[in-house]
Amino acid sequence: MTLDSKIPAGRLEDKWTSYQAKSHLINPANKKKLNILVVGSGLAGAGAAATLAELGYQVQCFCYQDSPRRAHSVAAQGGINAAKNYQHDGDSVWRMFYDTLKGGDFRSREANTYRLAELSAPLIDHFVQQGVPFAREYGGVLANRSFGGVQVQRTFYARGQTGQQLLLAAYSQLSKMIRAKKVAMFARHEVLDIVVIQGKAKGVIARDLATGEIKRFAADAVVLATGGYSRVFRLSTLAIGCNGSAIWKAHKRGAYFAAPSFTQIHPTALPQTSESQSKLTLMSESLRNDGRIWVPKKKDDNRQAKDIPEEERDYYLERRYPSFGNLAPRDIASRAAKERIDAGYGVGQLKNAVYLDFKHAINKLGKDVIQDKYGNLFSMYEKITGINAYEEPMKISPAAHFSMGGLWVDYELMTSIPGLYAIGECNYSDHGANRLGANSLLQTSIDGYFILPNTINNYLEGELKETRPDVNHPEFVKVEDEVKSQIGKILAINGHRTTDDFHRELGKVMWQECAMSRNKKGLEKAILQIKEIKDAFWKEVKVTGHDNEMNPELEKALRLADFIELAILMCTDALERNESCGAHFREEYQTEDGEAMRNDEDYKYVSVWEYDAGDFKLHKEVLEFEYVQPTVRSYK
Amino acid sequence: MKITFKIWRQEGANSEGSFKTYDIDGLTEDMSFLEALDHLNERLVLKGEKVVAFDHDCREGICGQCGVFINGRAHGPHDHMTTCQLHMRSFKDGETIVVEPYRAGAFPVVKDLVVDRTAFDRIIEQGAYITAKTGTAAEANAILIPKEVADNSMDVAACIGCGACVATCKNASAALFTSAKINHLNKLPQGQPEAHRRLVGMTDQMAIENFGSCTFTAACEVECPAEISISSIAEMNARYVKAKLFG
Amino acid sequence: MSMFFRKSILAATGLFLCIFLLVHLSANALLLLPETTARGLYNGYSTTLRESLVIKIVAYLLYLSLIFHVVYAGIVTYKNRQSKGNPYVMNHKTETSTWASQNMGVLGMLILIFIVVHLVNFWARVKLGIGETVRTDVAGNLDVYEVTYTLFHNIYYVLFYSVLMLPLGFHLHHGLQSAFKTLGFYHKKGLAVLAKISLIYAIIMSVGFAIIPIIVYFK
Ligand SMILES: Cc1cc2nc3c(=O)[nH]c(=O)nc-3n(C[C@H](O)[C@H](O)[C@H](O)COP(=O)(O)OP(=O)(O)OC[C@H]3O[C@@H](n4cnc5c(N)ncnc54)[C@H](O)[C@@H]3O)c2cc1C
Ligand code: FES
Repeated sequence: MTLDSKIPAGRLEDKWTSYQAKSHLINPANKKKLNILVVGSGLAGAGAAATLAELGYQVQCFCYQDSPRRAHSVAAQGGINAAKNYQHDGDSVWRMFYDTLKGGDFRSREANTYRLAELSAPLIDHFVQQGVPFAREYGGVLANRSFGGVQVQRTFYARGQTGQQLLLAAYSQLSKMIRAKKVAMFARHEVLDIVVIQGKAKGVIARDLATGEIKRFAADAVVLATGGYSRVFRLSTLAIGCNGSAIWKAHKRGAYFAAPSFTQIHPTALPQTSESQSKLTLMSESLRNDGRIWVPKKKDDNRQAKDIPEEERDYYLERRYPSFGNLAPRDIASRAAKERIDAGYGVGQLKNAVYLDFKHAINKLGKDVIQDKYGNLFSMYEKITGINAYEEPMKISPAAHFSMGGLWVDYELMTSIPGLYAIGECNYSDHGANRLGANSLLQTSIDGYFILPNTINNYLEGELKETRPDVNHPEFVKVEDEVKSQIGKILAINGHRTTDDFHRELGKVMWQECAMSRNKKGLEKAILQIKEIKDAFWKEVKVTGHDNEMNPELEKALRLADFIELAILMCTDALERNESCGAHFREEYQTEDGEAMRNDEDYKYVSVWEYDAGDFKLHKEVLEFEYVQPTVRSYK
Repeated sequence: MKITFKIWRQEGANSEGSFKTYDIDGLTEDMSFLEALDHLNERLVLKGEKVVAFDHDCREGICGQCGVFINGRAHGPHDHMTTCQLHMRSFKDGETIVVEPYRAGAFPVVKDLVVDRTAFDRIIEQGAYITAKTGTAAEANAILIPKEVADNSMDVAACIGCGACVATCKNASAALFTSAKINHLNKLPQGQPEAHRRLVGMTDQMAIENFGSCTFTAACEVECPAEISISSIAEMNARYVKAKLFG
Repeated sequence: MSMFFRKSILAATGLFLCIFLLVHLSANALLLLPETTARGLYNGYSTTLRESLVIKIVAYLLYLSLIFHVVYAGIVTYKNRQSKGNPYVMNHKTETSTWASQNMGVLGMLILIFIVVHLVNFWARVKLGIGETVRTDVAGNLDVYEVTYTLFHNIYYVLFYSVLMLPLGFHLHHGLQSAFKTLGFYHKKGLAVLAKISLIYAIIMSVGFAIIPIIVYFK
């Protein structure tokens, strides 16, 4: 199959408008006959399900949590970007498009990225209409802050809970459509496989997590909105249940996977403190506006932070990046921290953290000012660590945070399987090799609210003529049997190691070899190690309980089984890309002073992987830059 | 660190439940309470027993999915804290910790410590939204909202829907939850056209779901992780009285 | 009927009873005056009460309030019990709320017992003429003062009347503020003031009513 990105012809500024003008429409009476499955109830899924239902389609929506309101979009803190130019500081759709493209190190499509910026302003209008209590100025207009190292203030926010407020708005709209019986909601249902009939996505197989029942759902189109898969690292800022299962199964059924290894590592999370830790909590990036990051100049320095005099501290970001200092972008700050930690200068119990120190800011601005700005973060820090950060520096550490990679989609957000769409964090669309802060809530929302509802008709119009296969179609039976047999197999192993044990092992390999900095040798070794983990898992894992009941241990094991396979693809992808770009840093490709070296000559493409009976075949979607010339990102 | 867990075990909604005691070693003070349960579950798996089912997801205090009754308090001994934010340093070495599911008629037990809180979703369905189709919005700054109004609205919008308010309430009242959502929208100009329908619809549903009525013990505001004040309930009442008296 | 309606009846009747208590206590304060003045004023006052039409209406309102308050308290408590699932094995309620707020029903029952006895002691004798007849004083009024005086020279009654003012205080402290909130008083700073007022009111009522029998006893 060739990769057709379906980018509309015409000027960049006109592409989306002309696409909409030309796409097929479906009359309301016919929409009622069409059934769409939306897997996921995050900002992408809830927005899509609600909007599609409003348009008249029959929608069924799934989430694994007990309520759609708990999708992990809820955890986003910082804000959402939009090119409103309310601050009159020179922002525009064009500038936002450029920042995003450059921030992603020129590894995404111009047309998609432009559309992202173009639809950002109407999205804010939409959320305000839905009652999101965004921060306001005294005069009653919306307030903005700057975020993620861009030079304009374009971030809209609702305290430190922007994601929560946006998700609740989407959830409320979803609830409205559930009440209207236009959406049937299946909470505590995990989609375990996709049913493809004659090359088109026609349904899913899901497990009712409360009863263990395996169910079949047939439809005219399937939309995946299952969020990020960074739990493959085990320790991440994601929720415990976040998984890659639905997209992985889709991949195995023929959907191409793009840039799987592009993962954003966030520099300011709380460090791991013990082996049994289950997740890493994000501390807002805004702390870097006033905190100074340092490590001791002496290796294995066991003194308390306050006992280390100024001249024995290494403010390494300020040293390496004098012009951006502590505000260097995420990928750079994370990598610099890793470099120091690996070199033996890490602090904390497990020597895996760096200091984020407010001493100077408190001396200069006073404790009150700091408390006013970051009080809630300091108290959250104290809740988790028991440490008062006004007295001693915080300890922070990089953590896996966001998957830029995901299912390959075209301009219509359709995967390489006709009728199967991927929206939100689970696709690879606008962020390239690195995502800018506050751009993800944006992408995820516009995918669901604005783009998909305007592109899916283009496909469904063709489906009207066909009859929807019924759930007794042999393909449904076959896929269901496969799901059941996988569950049966896992339960039958009755080995001697827990799922968590395997997950920890996988996480360590991935974190070591496929996170902030990668190299050929390490990746090759990692692939072998992960294959061993896979073998061992299928021989030695022990899962108790049954399939026909609520069984959290089984859920974990099923997710991990998919993560293990996905991890192999991630390492394969990282190995193939012999350049450093964005979050993907290959040690072999760096300048003398340790900066990333991109190779546009050979790698100006998106790596698109096809599943091939346990192996992966590479396709290349070459990126054309018509409007912007790729430049070198430098933060020196 | 060594802990004795006394945990409610119940196979399913219709089975009898009982407490089981587990002595568990090898915990550390830095572990979160849920990690201690993970640790226990790993031991159970290795012994061939079924794991303790408990709800959780984000583990950072925002999704509202976690929530159990720990040593006689919703979400454990601290005020305004979710179960996932609770750490083992809040307990003494050798202590016995009693863990029960949330108890309320409207929150039936699904399994072990997991309860069914979908009644909350059904309350939301009765009007916690603004009826406006995607793509029909006017320019955002066309509606001016005073900062104080936006801030007050945000104070209550912060509800995470965990259900601790119901769990701790001697009447199993959902008044704090329902009022928070009603007030969030009814305070804003966007929420005005449907303010009355929302108020009546959601409060009626609260009763249909068999939640009790509020007698202002204020236990809910102490347990609420989002620190929502019971003045929110009083405000909902004010709206109700006004609606009934003046239409 | 909606839960708001039930709670509003409870609150409104409660508030009415609170006002009544205020008036009742100020009248009872007359008992603290020297005997000669107190007897005349007190007996005169109670005669006026018995004969005024307005007061009659108010009195019926009062009876109704009391009855509705008790009946609706019963209904609300019953409904709330039904909403509550199985009880917790361990429940540290007092860490999150006051004991009184958790036990308004028990407190209310104690107060009800008190009211019954109190009505038998006075209302039944003075108003209904049941039991020992009440004499008249020099001014020709029924000598309610005498009834009170005799009653409060029985140490058991003194103890009963004084000790049961404790539950009254607790009940009022929670009830007053709760009633305001039920009826929709939500001003944030106002609520802090309301809490203080409720406390002061509860203390004045319970201490006030409690010391009268004691003082009369020692008169
Ligand atoms: C801690 C944190 C902070 C962040 N802060 C910001 C920020 O400030 N600004 C910003 O722009 N972005 C931020 N992000 C990123 C952003 O929040 C996410 O990328 C975005 O919300 C993802 O939305 P989504 O709808 O794609 O996925 P999610 O919200 O994760 O939703 C996934 C949905 O899929 C369901 N699901 C998953 N698997 C299955 C399955 N197998 N079967 C059935 N259902 C399934 C889940 O139940 C859920 O409903 C942050 C992310 C994190 C983790
Ligand atoms: S797990 Fe999300 S709030 Fe506790």
